[in-house]
Amino acid sequence: MNVFDCHTHWAPCFQNRDGRNPAAWIELIRSAGVSHAVILPFTGLIHDGKVGQDNDDLAAVCAHPAAEGRMIPFCTAQISVPDEGLAEIRRALGTLKMRGIKFHPWLQGLSPGWAAMDDVCDLAEEFDVPILFHDGTPPFSLPAQMALLAKRHPRVQIILGHTGLFEHWREAIAAVNLTPNLWPCLCSPHVAALKEIVRRCDPQRLLWGSDHGFTLDNFYPYRRGLMELIGLDDKQREAMYDVNPRRLLKM
Amino acid sequence: MSSIIDAYTTSGTERETALPVEELIRQLDDAGIARAVVAPEDREIAVHNRAGNERIARLAADAPGSPGGTGAPGNAGRLIPACTVNPWFGAEGVKELSRAVHAGARMLVLAPALQGFYLGDEIANPLYEAAKEMLLPVYVHTGPHGPAAPTQLALVAMQFPRTRFIMGHCGSTDHAHDMPAALKLKLPNLWFELSLVRPFAIHHWGKIAGDERLIFGTSAPRNLPRHELQHADLSWPIAKNSGTYGRNIEALLAEVRP
Ligand SMILES: [Zn+2]
Repeated sequence: MNVFDCHTHWAPCFQNRDGRNPAAWIELIRSAGVSHAVILPFTGLIHDGKVGQDNDDLAAVCAHPAAEGRMIPFCTAQISVPDEGLAEIRRALGTLKMRGIKFHPWLQGLSPGWAAMDDVCDLAEEFDVPILFHDGTPPFSLPAQMALLAKRHPRVQIILGHTGLFEHWREAIAAVNLTPNLWPCLCSPHVAALKEIVRRCDPQRLLWGSDHGFTLDNFYPYRRGLMELIGLDDKQREAMYDVNPRRLLKM
Repeated sequence: MSSIIDAYTTSGTERETALPVEELIRQLDDAGIARAVVAPEDREIAVHNRAGNERIARLAADAPGSPGGTGAPGNAGRLIPACTVNPWFGAEGVKELSRAVHAGARMLVLAPALQGFYLGDEIANPLYEAAKEMLLPVYVHTGPHGPAAPTQLALVAMQFPRTRFIMGHCGSTDHAHDMPAALKLKLPNLWFELSLVRPFAIHHWGKIAGDERLIFGTSAPRNLPRHELQHADLSWPIAKNSGTYGRNIEALLAEVRP
């Protein structure tokens, strides 16, 4: 069985240490029993001037032979200037062949309610890629905000990157159950919430993520361990770690 | 027997904190945790304060190993009762606080998001004043964006310098960005509780605050004590940080005077 980690980052700590070579990064996820990872930007989320550079770096890292095709790059863009942001997304998905889009709306200062976000969804539909959002925090990252966006774009697959964190996970469950194209990524809620999410959400849409990679701390022993505490059966495990992400990412 | 204390647990009856007390004790045993503060559950924190405080006092008194309890001797006082009061009950709430502390409660729990108030709202001031008189630590759940941020609690702690506050969860998750500044204040009446903090990141807070300011907690049953303690130890070793893992909370609880 593959194990897809659907929420990881390529942060400056790796870029500065390893350049565009993911060998050490891959070795770490392999030692944690992870076979594939969705790689989200980091620098591009916090520095508007480096969005293009970060997308270039991420695409190159994931295309490096050491990545063995196991790293799936998502791009980002600053859409407060819509034309520029949309052009960058088109470049990242087209020229760079990145496989999805990531937003961290409160960090980037972008509301899922903006018209430009609808334009992003149109692009995602055109390229047939999912959009992953940081969620669990106001004022721009509520599960309900992603759910309404997903409802406006029923053919675009939208991922709740954290399924509500510690406070909005019940809201996230309701949002997922009301929105067939909204996918909960089990990344960061506590054990009791994770159990409830698994119990109450569509098993065909559950994903797992570690949030590994935004510091040099090793997130895996703790986060992999958490998943062993929630009583998944083999079928749920296979769906969440392997079948669902492959369907979502078309692999 | 270890001297580790878990500063926040719940033995609830419903929703995600449903956990019979025997099972809580079993989880503490499994983790090697000697004692735990046990708090009322969410509905009791929000509305049924007195019923919750009485339930927790009873539960702690009857727990296996406690004086008057049914279990093996030698574990007296294994569960330490906390109480709660919703600030909206006003003077009546202050009375309930005093009653609960006389009945054995050793910590006041406030959860602004559950109780419908914002830190900084003077509605809670009478409780802070009452807690000051009793040297009763006030544990505040932080994290919810708007009602309960670390900066908001730090400001309350400055406003009430003789009331002792414990910052539950250190603002986890996204208010973690505010934590270095809050920790560097070094307020003498503010401690930092670690449940819901990513265990592998505790050392970052430890390096700023030092062992004397941190307090280990698990928020069981939202988390499993064994898993939390094991990973906290890897980041911030038990062997070197006896304050974090028991001494700090023990000292605070010991000084309560009803
Ligand atoms: Zn992340």
